[in-house]
Amino acid sequence: MENTSTIAFTADELKEVERLQSLYPEHKAAIMPVLWMAQKKWGWLSEDVMKYVADLFTLPYAHVLGVATFYTMYFKKPMGKHHIQVCTNISCMLRGGDSIYEHLCNKYGIRHNETTTDGKLSIEEVECMGACSGAPMIAINEDFYENVSLDQVEKLLQSL
Amino acid sequence: MNTSTYTNGHHVAVQDVETKTAYINGVAYSVQENETILSFVRRHFGNDYVPTLCDAPNLDPYGACRVCSVEVALTANGSRRVQASCHTPVIPDSYIFTDTDRIERLRKNIVELVLTDHPLDCLTCEVNNNCELQTVAARVGIRKVRYPEGKNHLDRQKDLSHAYMTSDFSKCINCSRCVRACDEVQGQLVLSMAGRGFDAHIIKGLDQTFADSDCVSCGACAQACPTSAISDIFESKSVVADKKVRTVCTYCGVGCNLEVAVVNNNIKSIQAPYDAAVNQGHTCLKGRYAFSFYNHPDRLRTPLIKRNGEFQPATWDEAYDYIAEKFTQIKQEYGPDSISGISSARCTNEENYLMQKFFRAVIGTNNIDSCARVCHSPTALGMQRSFGTGAATNSIIDLKYTDCIMVIGANPTDAHPVTGAKLKQFAMKGKPSIVIDPRRTELARYATYHLQLKPGTNVALLNMMLYYIITEGLEDKAFIQNRTEGYDGFKEQILNLNIDELEHITGVDKHLVRSAAITYASAPNAMSFHGLGVTEHSQGTFTVMLIADLAMITGNIGRRGVGVNPLRGQNNVQGAADMGCQPHQGAGYLDAYNPEINKMYSEFYGVPIPIGKGLKIPEMYDAAFAGKLKAIWLMGEDVAQTDPNTQLVVSALNKLELVVVQEIFMTETCKLADVVLPAASFLEKSGTFTNGERRIQRVQKVVEPIEGTKPDGQIMVDIMNRMGFAQPEYHPDTVLQEVSRIVPFFAGVKWNELGNNGKQWPVAPNGNGTEILHTETFKRGLGKFHFAPYKETEETKQHADKYPYIITTNRELEHYNSGTMTRRTNNVKILTEDVLLINPEDAARHFIEEGDMVCVESPRGKVDIKARITTEVKPGIMSTTFHFPELMINNITSSQHDSEALCPEYKVVAANIRKSKGKFKTQPQTV
Repeated sequence: MENTSTIAFTADELKEVERLQSLYPEHKAAIMPVLWMAQKKWGWLSEDVMKYVADLFTLPYAHVLGVATFYTMYFKKPMGKHHIQVCTNISCMLRGGDSIYEHLCNKYGIRHNETTTDGKLSIEEVECMGACSGAPMIAINEDFYENVSLDQVEKLLQSL
Repeated sequence: MNTSTYTNGHHVAVQDVETKTAYINGVAYSVQENETILSFVRRHFGNDYVPTLCDAPNLDPYGACRVCSVEVALTANGSRRVQASCHTPVIPDSYIFTDTDRIERLRKNIVELVLTDHPLDCLTCEVNNNCELQTVAARVGIRKVRYPEGKNHLDRQKDLSHAYMTSDFSKCINCSRCVRACDEVQGQLVLSMAGRGFDAHIIKGLDQTFADSDCVSCGACAQACPTSAISDIFESKSVVADKKVRTVCTYCGVGCNLEVAVVNNNIKSIQAPYDAAVNQGHTCLKGRYAFSFYNHPDRLRTPLIKRNGEFQPATWDEAYDYIAEKFTQIKQEYGPDSISGISSARCTNEENYLMQKFFRAVIGTNNIDSCARVCHSPTALGMQRSFGTGAATNSIIDLKYTDCIMVIGANPTDAHPVTGAKLKQFAMKGKPSIVIDPRRTELARYATYHLQLKPGTNVALLNMMLYYIITEGLEDKAFIQNRTEGYDGFKEQILNLNIDELEHITGVDKHLVRSAAITYASAPNAMSFHGLGVTEHSQGTFTVMLIADLAMITGNIGRRGVGVNPLRGQNNVQGAADMGCQPHQGAGYLDAYNPEINKMYSEFYGVPIPIGKGLKIPEMYDAAFAGKLKAIWLMGEDVAQTDPNTQLVVSALNKLELVVVQEIFMTETCKLADVVLPAASFLEKSGTFTNGERRIQRVQKVVEPIEGTKPDGQIMVDIMNRMGFAQPEYHPDTVLQEVSRIVPFFAGVKWNELGNNGKQWPVAPNGNGTEILHTETFKRGLGKFHFAPYKETEETKQHADKYPYIITTNRELEHYNSGTMTRRTNNVKILTEDVLLINPEDAARHFIEEGDMVCVESPRGKVDIKARITTEVKPGIMSTTFHFPELMINNITSSQHDSEALCPEYKVVAANIRKSKGKFKTQPQTV
């Protein structure tokens, strides 16, 4: 995590911001991909990061906070290096999603949207991620793992 | 399916084949272009016919609550769809059903669901009986809520952090009206909706309190909120008032209409009426909340006479006798021209009229001036020379019709907040907007072009714009040919200008100026606004004439959405000048030095009226030093704090034998007076104010004057009678009758006919007002082009070597001028002191840090001000306010003034700075 006073995109990143803005009739529509870029860079959307992005777009702070809090995939607090999302929606629930979720919670002693003390891992119980054909599924950061059993989850965790 | 048809004997179906129709409950009604179903139904059945929650009169349709749902079918027996009527356009020949069983069940269920998460403490709620949720619940027939108690938000904490605004989001129904009011009405964008689903909630800024957010306390959200989720400390939406009185705000030239709630002769709160032509349900924190000065303990409550250097209370009779005797003696000894008066633009038209009549008809001198001298006198003079009339050519509503705005030397978001909000909305939408200002004002941040010129170089910059309009061939040749004179010589002089030299003088890139000039000139309709940043300069009048030249060269005069529009500073500065409070022009701007007009005035007033030259305000001080002036009467004018070069003003007043001041508080000027007369505030008297768009509006007495005080008009009438001139008792109706007989453009003004929204002068004898001036011809016939070359002010010319910085003056939203009123309200909790805006480069050079005290020294004197480091000002330029008497910034302002109208040059002060030890630091005055 970088110092708050040095929150700024690099020149290349700023070019990317401009490119994203140019894709839409109104610049402010690019707020979502840019917030995503910011989250990737700084790990989560702190108040200072949101202010920085708001100033980049000359948008009011409240507007950026409104967007960030509407979408659950934007983190409003620091999350683990590996963010594990477990689906417990209908298809996954029927195929054992709940037990995967409980297993992970018990194993690491954390629950929904919590992070281990070493900051390595966080767990989130998510709604349908659109991979029902591969239920039960989990996602680690941006990678989907489908048709997972408890054993496979264990193996995945060891490979992290 | 329910097929009941609505039959109402009062509404006859419109069968005109020309007009399109649609059916409401089976009966055809005429449809207007671009109408929503809701406005269509409301137009025919009244506002209460379809219940709504998220709809508000001054906001765009939104469609959040769905309470306004109706059924719509495209054919008589076709299938019906449920639509939110507020944002669905009405389709001609469609069939709309407003109250079928299905709709009624839907509405009821929506409200029931809302109520499951709403505290049911109506009886103790501040908005009981004025709550839209309560009204709608009763309307849709809710007796009990069928749903069991579930998760809710009733434990949300109240926000009582702010001086005025409060929130209690346990009562929020997520209608987003507050968010939209903040966006669409004020343009502050502080409020937003955060979270999703059940967690959705209103936030202020980054989820801060009202006090910590960027809220400007305009109260638009509180007024928009249908419940008491957002309110204010005055509980403005409460219905406990005995009566509500409609009047006009006293704080600025916008002239907002206010609806004042009164309980037991005490003011409870103020709201802005939605049907107000000027402010459409909006106003600012001064108009809405800064009223508690009116019964502040500091109010003057008895006449005071200074004997042996100390004020002693006196009766009104004693005070009048004292003044009358002194005036008579001074008049006999030194002649009538040894007495002078300064009227107040804060007072009504009637009071200003009476004051100038008192001086001309009773004292017998033209020594009458008003505070227009120190603000917009160059506007009046300059526009009279160019057009023939010194008032705004258009109306604020024209913002709806214009394609480009140019704002010169004005900071409307602080000084004229309601008009400022409209201008900001215009700029925020990305429409072409040009701001010419030495400071990066709030409007400048949103503008297409900000020409950040050096203070005092307006003339140079406008000349550059004129040059580019001519060289680009963008003149409106037909307009110039048909409506103006003097163009050829003017053009030649403009084309002879050295643009590179002007670029250097103004400090603005010539390419930027060129682009801005092209934008202004090529817009189909362009509207200019200007403020004191234009007038309060040594070349103020010339600047105004160049603004007029810009309008004429581009043909932007005489129709909707164009014109030259001074943003008049004080609530009635237009009126004070209209009523004749200036030495050279009597009531109605008629030439006071013309023998024929003098004869007419003499006949009208029934006594000989003087024809000799009268003194303007700065000349009065000179005359005091020369021993020619012996007495002065000031009506609500704090010259000691607000006129430039304080020491000069104070020693001038000290030279006089008699100083009479009418005031509501003990101001700096009052302290120098011999007699102080306690006056009534605008909330305690009736009369009319004329706003910046020439709109004469009724000020109505809200509460009785506090004990011991009298309306200024009554004081004038009393002293006139005391000095032997028979003037009937003060009543706005009778004074207006008199005014309408002498002021040509007031011919059709009658107190009883002004109505809620007043009339814009000229008002014809038949009572019709005028929105736009100079539509066919100019008042003076042809519009006249005037060229003016840039001339550096003596202030910087003489002092620049020793005093290299330029200090300019500005206003802050929270306070009004000398702050006598706003400092006695909670506004002082929001803004507590004057600060000096200083660029980081300059600050670093003098080792000044944020919050340090800075000693500012000019050739006249020095003051200590707290630094605020900001890039709002360019290096070399600083800016400050004069709202607090602790600072007395006018100790350093100069006696330079406009060469033509003698308006003081507040905007350019040569100064030097150093870090100070802050020994002159004083505590700000609190409520």
